[in-house]
Amino acid sequence: MAAFDFAPLIVLLPFTSFFVAVAAAIWRPNILPKGGALPGIAATAGSLLVSLWVAVEVLGGGRTAETVYVWSTGVGDAPELVFSLLLDPLSALMLLIVSLVATLVHVFSLGYMNDEDETGLPRYYAGLGLFTASMLGFVVAGNLLMAFIFFELVGLCSYLLIGFWFREAGPPSAAKKAFLVTRFGDYFFLVGVAGVFATFGSAAFAGPESFPAVAEAALTGEASVRTFGFGTQTWFSVLGFLILGGVVGKSAQYPLHTWLPDAMEGPTPVSALIHAATMVAAGVYLIARIYGFYALLPTVLAAIALVGGFTALFAATMGLVKREIKQVLAYSTISQYGYMMLGLGAGGYVAATFHLMTHAFFKALLFLGAGSVIIAMHHNEDMWDMGGLRKRMPVTYVTFLAGSLALAGIVPFAGFWSKDEVLYEALVHGLGGSPILLAAYGMGLVAVLFTGFYTFRMVLLTFHGDPRTELARNPHGVGWNVKAPLVVLGVLATTAGFLNMVPVHELLGFPPEYLHDWLAHDGGRSAFAGLTSEHYGELLHDWAGYSTVELSAILPGLVSLGLALLGAGGAYALYAGDDPEEHTEKLGAAKTVLYNNYYQDEYQVWLTDSVVKPLSRTMDTFDQGVVDGTVNTVSSVSLFSGRRLRRIQTGVVSNYAVLLTLGLTALVLVVGVLGGWFA
Amino acid sequence: MAVPPSYYLLLSAALFCIGVAGVLTRRNALLFLMSIELMLNAANVNFVYFSQFWGNVTGQTFSLFVIALAAAEVAIGIGIILVLYRNFDGVDVTEATTMRW
Repeated sequence: MAAFDFAPLIVLLPFTSFFVAVAAAIWRPNILPKGGALPGIAATAGSLLVSLWVAVEVLGGGRTAETVYVWSTGVGDAPELVFSLLLDPLSALMLLIVSLVATLVHVFSLGYMNDEDETGLPRYYAGLGLFTASMLGFVVAGNLLMAFIFFELVGLCSYLLIGFWFREAGPPSAAKKAFLVTRFGDYFFLVGVAGVFATFGSAAFAGPESFPAVAEAALTGEASVRTFGFGTQTWFSVLGFLILGGVVGKSAQYPLHTWLPDAMEGPTPVSALIHAATMVAAGVYLIARIYGFYALLPTVLAAIALVGGFTALFAATMGLVKREIKQVLAYSTISQYGYMMLGLGAGGYVAATFHLMTHAFFKALLFLGAGSVIIAMHHNEDMWDMGGLRKRMPVTYVTFLAGSLALAGIVPFAGFWSKDEVLYEALVHGLGGSPILLAAYGMGLVAVLFTGFYTFRMVLLTFHGDPRTELARNPHGVGWNVKAPLVVLGVLATTAGFLNMVPVHELLGFPPEYLHDWLAHDGGRSAFAGLTSEHYGELLHDWAGYSTVELSAILPGLVSLGLALLGAGGAYALYAGDDPEEHTEKLGAAKTVLYNNYYQDEYQVWLTDSVVKPLSRTMDTFDQGVVDGTVNTVSSVSLFSGRRLRRIQTGVVSNYAVLLTLGLTALVLVVGVLGGWFA
Repeated sequence: MAVPPSYYLLLSAALFCIGVAGVLTRRNALLFLMSIELMLNAANVNFVYFSQFWGNVTGQTFSLFVIALAAAEVAIGIGIILVLYRNFDGVDVTEATTMRW
């Protein structure tokens, strides 16, 4: 397995580029050409090549789950803590996505950062390198603790890169917000990791000792685990919800989605890499990674589906009225991750993975396209200041349009196939006897309409009509380093969906559903049988009670396509002219509510002010009063008695003599009385 | 005609009490020294008497040691008093109270 021997390089190469950039920044600030971009590009391209090699190996049936480094051997029967590598179809696919997008973003950064003469470039490329390494480390992680460590590193890099322009007012505050909000979710994740260790004694993802396998055995009664007095299913659901906390934070699901729109303060390539294609995907990927565990827990699955469906709709409505191009994209990102959660919750493991892949391509494309527009507009992001850019930047326009069609879910672009499959899975499992899934499906379906609308509103306002400002009339040109990544991603956003055309397969019997086949089999290695979509299907049927109805994929596909077209048509009707009006003004109060994001930020601040702060103040009082009070009392008693007692040290020798004499006399008297001298 | 032991014990006790009283009541450092000499000699009286009483010279020998020790103590005591005089312009022990709380 030669490729697997080189697999650690996938993580180590970007990590090296991080070190190179940091070392250069410290000792020889100007030694690296292009501010450190070249080592980064070389490292991520190297990772991409090794990832490709690994993917080929996996395609040939190769799988591996090996321990790379034991960093704590347990005492007694405490579990070992290890770094381990898990390479299977899911991680191989994700490795390809992450390393490809990371490479393209590094190239794009040449145009967005270097050509714009930004300062602090080594810091920027160090952050990108560390981020790429952490994300790839998260993807190959073979156990929950390692996944958690890299999850946190990814969050740290997000903080560093959002706050890249730390001299301005907005970015540092946005960086802190992103850090704190995701950390709030990660806190639950950490408790969940500890809980998994305490319950199963192992946090591995693969093999017969892995915790999903043990959980399954515990439910059938073949294995016993510590459940701390709860019912087995109940306790597993608690663990599932705890881990879900981290997922909701990282994947920006309601109610922890508030950090993502603010994170747009970071440089646009960072938004593309972190806040669209990869880091935000970490949460969804984590659920997919331990899907064997979640498939046992119908309650948690229903919650995931409901949160996902709700987030998809909720975020889509907010995207309808935004003025800044990146804000629209931010809300569409939240909404699309909602679809992935809906897919996972509804039992559509393959569908959600598929949407994760296509979304990574088309959303990275859209963000980089937006970055190109922002370069052209001299960093003005307001869509109402744009217009008519179509003729002036044709490459950006064509690729952006491909991404938009994919986002809106218009056939045959990538997003159509994947979003359609997610909705189809929700529908068939919902009709199979789960009203919650049907409700989530309904919300997802309405969100399709809104997605079509805001996507084409964005395209029309940015690229069509007459230029509305002088900036838009004479945009700044963009170089090859911007166009090349756009073209690559544009091709992928157009074609990635062909990997898994469920309705076409049903109609014609070909082409094969490649992604289904990719994720379904264990390559003849029974140790990995627990990580296949076939196995997940059985679990969902046996434990979650999901059943499907016989339903053609064609009609639901046509419904969602129709809704997407309706939304897009609505946007065309309202915004197609040479000089479109601001129709959002007509929404009145609704517009204010949407524009202020349903006052979610205000509501969370209120929650902090009126619940968390008084609670903290009470805790502070307890701490100051009771805990510190005890310590202070002890010390003040000894201080007081010391102050009194020291008075006998008069410094007058005669007094000491008196004390000596009296003391001796008293001693003699005591000895005498006890010794019976006076009896 | 032997003097009974109680006489010697009374003499020694009287000497010791005079010494203690001197230490407790006097303020002059020289008188302190003298009072200490009195207490030491009260012990010597006992040593010498009981040595003769038992016909054993160990007690008399010990009293010689005590006298030697007293000489040494006086040498050091005088030195201390000299320093006391230089630093506090007098030998009143109640004046020298800088080493207190």
